[in-house]
Formats: sequence, C-alpha cells, structure tokens
Amino acid sequence: MNDVRAQRNLAAEQICSVSVGDSNKDGFSVNRNDMLLKAALDQGIDYPHNCRVGVCGQCKTKLISGKVTPMVDLALSPLTNAEIESGYFLACQGKVRGNINIQIKLGQHHVVPEQQVAGRIVLWKQLPGEVIELRMALETPFQYEAGQYGFLAESGSFVRRCFSFSDAPPAEGVGATEVGFLIKRLPGGEFSEWLFKEDRTGVKMWLHGPYGVMGVDDADLPGLCVAGGTGLAPVLSILEKRLSSSVHATFVVIFGVKFANEIFAMDKLEALQARFPGRLRIIPIVSHEPEGSAWQGARGLVTVPLDDQLGVDYRRSAAFICGGLPMVNAVEQKLLAMGMDPERIHADKFMPTG
Amino acid sequence: MTDYIKYLLSPFILTLHAWGMALGGAYAWVGFAVLMWVLCFDAFLKPSHHVRDTRYPWLYDAVITCTVLACFANIFFYAYLAGSGHFVGGAAQTGAFLGTVMIGFVIGAPPVHELFHREGIALRTLGRIGQCLVFDPWREITHVVTHHMHTATPTDPDYARRGDTVYGHFTRTFPGQWKESYHLEKMMWTKRGRKWYDLRNAWVFKVAYFSLFLVVLFSVGGLVGGGLACATLILGPRMQLEVFNYCNHYGLVSATPGRFKKHHTWNHLTPFTRILALEITNHAGHHDDSYKPFYELAPDEIGPKQPPFILCVIMAFIPPLFMMAMKPLLKNWDEHYANPQEREIAARENTRAGWDELNDDSSNFNSGAMALA
Repeated sequence: MNDVRAQRNLAAEQICSVSVGDSNKDGFSVNRNDMLLKAALDQGIDYPHNCRVGVCGQCKTKLISGKVTPMVDLALSPLTNAEIESGYFLACQGKVRGNINIQIKLGQHHVVPEQQVAGRIVLWKQLPGEVIELRMALETPFQYEAGQYGFLAESGSFVRRCFSFSDAPPAEGVGATEVGFLIKRLPGGEFSEWLFKEDRTGVKMWLHGPYGVMGVDDADLPGLCVAGGTGLAPVLSILEKRLSSSVHATFVVIFGVKFANEIFAMDKLEALQARFPGRLRIIPIVSHEPEGSAWQGARGLVTVPLDDQLGVDYRRSAAFICGGLPMVNAVEQKLLAMGMDPERIHADKFMPTG
Repeated sequence: MTDYIKYLLSPFILTLHAWGMALGGAYAWVGFAVLMWVLCFDAFLKPSHHVRDTRYPWLYDAVITCTVLACFANIFFYAYLAGSGHFVGGAAQTGAFLGTVMIGFVIGAPPVHELFHREGIALRTLGRIGQCLVFDPWREITHVVTHHMHTATPTDPDYARRGDTVYGHFTRTFPGQWKESYHLEKMMWTKRGRKWYDLRNAWVFKVAYFSLFLVVLFSVGGLVGGGLACATLILGPRMQLEVFNYCNHYGLVSATPGRFKKHHTWNHLTPFTRILALEITNHAGHHDDSYKPFYELAPDEIGPKQPPFILCVIMAFIPPLFMMAMKPLLKNWDEHYANPQEREIAARENTRAGWDELNDDSSNFNSGAMALA
C-alpha cells in the first residue's frame, strides 16, 4: 500500500504544470526535467520556435514564476542582456524544474512533425546575384507549411545548412514530392561553395525538417512582404499560399538587393502577378546601384518605401519579413513606427552560415 | 544500501594510495597496483545494467564531495612528499608518480565532471574549482556547450573521426578546445557589455583560483614537488580525459547536430568501471540529460558498447591495435544503429580513413560479437 502511495507521489512530483499568462486555457503539463519546447511540440502545441538548438531565439519566453534551468549560459544565446535580466529564456534550452507560469503567445494551428527524407537534385540553375535555384525530387512526400525551412545535406556529408522552401506547400495534409530553394553563395561557406562549384543535378541529398513558423495569420488580411536577397524564397512560398487561400487579399512585395543586375526570380513574382491579377504589387529596390545607371526603379534600403505613400493600411495588414538580422530588425522598427500591430509582424531572421 | 557503499571504492583506493605514499618504498605502488588490479579484474566481468537506489541522494553527493576534497589533499600531499625527497629510489618515485597519474584520472576527474554538470550552486562551484585537478579550469565550457551540442560531428573538438589516432587527436583537440573556450568566453563578456578584463567575467575567476591552486602546490612541494604534481595532473587527468573522449565517440556520426540520440556514443558498462567513473561510461544517459546526477543514469542495455574501459585506454596508445578492435564495432554500428543518412556519412568516413573494406558487405567484419557483448 505504501509502495502504491509512494509511486503516486512520485508521479505527482514528476508532472509539472505550465500556465501561460493569466489565462488557464493555454496551460499544459510536462514531465519534470523535460525541455519545455520539445515537450510542448510533442503534445502538438503550436509553440513559437524555429531552430530548436538555441540559435534563432524564436522560442524566447518570459518566466513569470517557477524554475527553469537553461542548458547553457543564456549569454551564449541570441537573447540580449536586458532580456536575460528581465527573466527571458529560450524554451528549446530550458528544462522545467517545477510548476511554472510563462508569458508566450501560443499559436493555434497544427504542428507539422519532423521528417528526414532523401531526394535528388533535379534542377540546378544559376540566377543573377550568385544565387542558385535548386529543386529536389523527394523519395518520400514531405509535409511543410508556407514560410518554413529545412536542413539540406549532401549524402555522406556532415555539413548541413538550412534554407526556406520557395514553393507553396500542397494541400493540407499532403506531402510535397518536389521542393525548391533559392541559395545565395557565401564566400568560404562550406555548403554553398560545394553547391556552386559545379552543376549538382542528380546528386543525392537529405532534407530534414520542417522548422520555423512565419506564414501563419488570418488568410484574408492584406499582406506586406519585405524580402532581402534570398529572403525572397519564403516570401514566394507565403505569397502563393496566401493568394490561393483567399479570394481578395492583396499583397505588396518589397524585394531588395544591392545592384540592379542582382535581381533574380522576378519571373516567379511576375507569374504570381499574372495568376492573381490586380492583387500583387512588386517593388524591387536596389541599395548600392551607382548613381546615373540605367536603373529606373526604387533605390535605397528596403525600409525606404515603408511610408504613407506605399498605399498599405499598416494598422490592418500582416507583414512577412525575411532577410539578414539587421535588415529584419530595421523593417520591424519601421513597421511599428507606422502603427502596425506587433502581433501581425512575422519575421524570419537568418544568419549567414554558408 | 549497498549501492551507496559501492561508491566508497574511490575514496578507499585514494586512501590506500595516500597510505602507501606515506610509507614510501615499495608501498608507493599500492594505490597504482590496487587501481589497476580492480580495472583489470573488471575487464573480465559482464556488463551491469543495475539501476541505483536513489532514496538518499545526499549520501552519494556527500561521497563525491569528500572524494574531490580528498583529491585536492592527495595532490598537495604528493607534492609535499615528492618535494621533500620522501621517495627514495627510482622505483618508489615511479610508483608514487604513476599512482598519482592514474588515480587523478580514474578517481579525481569523474567527480569533478559530475559536479560541474550540477545545478546547485555549492556543488557546481566545487566542480568548477575542482577543475584544477584536471589542470584546466576552462574544460567545463567547451564540454558543456560544444561537446554536448555537437556530439559525434567534426565541429566538436572532442570528437575523433574514423582513422584518427590518439596522437593526432591530441594535436587537434587541445588547440580546438582553447580556441573554442576563448570564443565562448568572449561571447559572454561581450553580451554582458563588459570589458575582457572585467573582474566579474568567469575567466578572471578561473585564473584566480587556478593561480591560487598552483601557488599552494608549489609552496607545499617546492619547485620539484610542485612540478612533479603538475606533471601528474597533465599526464593523468588532463591528457587521459582526452583519451577517454577519443574512445567514447570514436568514429560515430550524427546527421542531426544538436539532437543527441543514444546511439551517438559508446558505453562501458562493466560494474567497477561504472562505479569508479561515476557512471560517466554509462555515457548515453549522460548525454541524453547532462543534468541528471550519476545515480539516476539508467544503463543503455542495447546501446553500442566498446571493449572494457581499461583495454580501450591502453589500446588507444597503440593505433593499429585500437583500429583493429574498432573496425568490427563500427561496421556493426553502421549496420544496426545508424539511420540511413548516418550510414551514408559513415561510408564516406570509411573511405576518408582508407577503410573501404568496411563499406564492402562481403568483408570479414560482419561479426559484431564484441559490439553486442
């Protein structure tokens, strides 16, 4: 009898409740010592996250009460010192030590499980601006959502890098049999140098994912997409998905590169424009184009067009931003200043790893 | 209660070593002889899958705390004896030296490692200061961050690829660890907006206590005693730990860095090795949850296993012998543990090592008897 009671007590000690903010409706339970993010995802909870290994900072969570132990010093994470001091931690690196109360905005959509599938490169095409368009035919259908990314690795190699899918996913619950990526060459980068060295058509690759949450918001909201360089890939995926999902949502895309001759994938944007007439406006913008060149379009950083003249109702639009960290931060600040609701700003900040 | 008593074996051997050194002469070999006898005897035993009694965890913590403190006392004692000419003749000097080397590795390093993984501030601080006993106060940061995050990939400086010898591993692992330590420490002081010389930086604290340790060591033992004591720590725990790391993930590959799976490590589960090494050789459990105290680690009964611990350490210094032992184990791992992507990485690693025979299904390496022992 005592043994049974002891086992019950032990079980009770092992289960920790996680309450979210002041409401009880988003609460869930985890085993004591579980990593918070993994435990939440395993239960199908739409917990904001991206890389799951402490690099991207998307699972940033504020601890209101209780105890969470970070796996590594938070100073080694993307959190700022001010965030660390005010109680933030990374859910992917935080072990739950007891009942906790946290502040985090949970999503409400289905989480796509991790998959690891093989495939072969069926298209290797050089685009302007040292970008490769890569397409991979998969041996097994692969499910993902618009705006997500996966890790790519050559068969037999330890080296893997993450890239966003550039296609809209097939219908919900259906896996893609072919996926596309836009990959920028990073000088010295192990993966990108390998990829650029020669035509890799036919090479076997592994795809691991999907990760990240970016394209999820009310389907009928008008959208503003801001892409820096190959940040266009997830934007293409989100655009196609959202344009198809709503009959009237309109979009403005600001696509920034350094020089006019580096503009790539315009054919893909224009194809969407033709497919959804009157619903997509494209603004390519160049930041380093020499004065007096033949370029007739917009010049400057991607933040330049973000003003009242753009014709976007910032207060009732959703924004999807993808590019380098400084660019995304600058755009976020500008959009907040223009009155956009922070919860409508969806960003994918990538760090070049080559 | 026997589980708690088992872990007294380490302090018992340490006491014997101190007693033998105090007597001097041939007795200076006692610690070394007893330790080696236990390890060799252990090599003939079957793996133990026993899960420890965890009703009184404080008892385990008390034992390992005392062991770390006793190891400090032991190294100072050795420095004093060696410096005062207590050991007469080469035999006694060699016995005391070798005993201190091996005991520093097998008995001193495990509780230090255990404690710097702990969450409690008192035990963790003792573990951090205890790193003086492995002659590297910076060992923790690359271990906890880099090694545990990049297990079984070449981005972990502690990792040895197929075909790497332990001698080559030394030349890569030490510079790799130092570079990584600097990089991580710099990240921490930069993030906190501090100057590199800010007294609140972890590395400053490490320099302070390590300097104090060396001052005491040389004060007690003089130049000769202090120097010999340092040599035992460098040749013992410091270098042998890298031999242990070399063996423990040797040639295994991970296709998912940052996502440890139990097959990404070898295990040594013979009973005395588990006890002396504080279950660190029960390695899958440790990597699966590095915060889990040693007494809570459950052996991975079906995980990949290497030959007995002492045999691996000795064979590592004889590369042809080590490779001969490892090849069938790796072949077995590729076939039974690796996922398809890892199998492809392993095949390329075999080619890189010049071990194409491991990629040949008709080769003679199909017997995985040792792997399944």
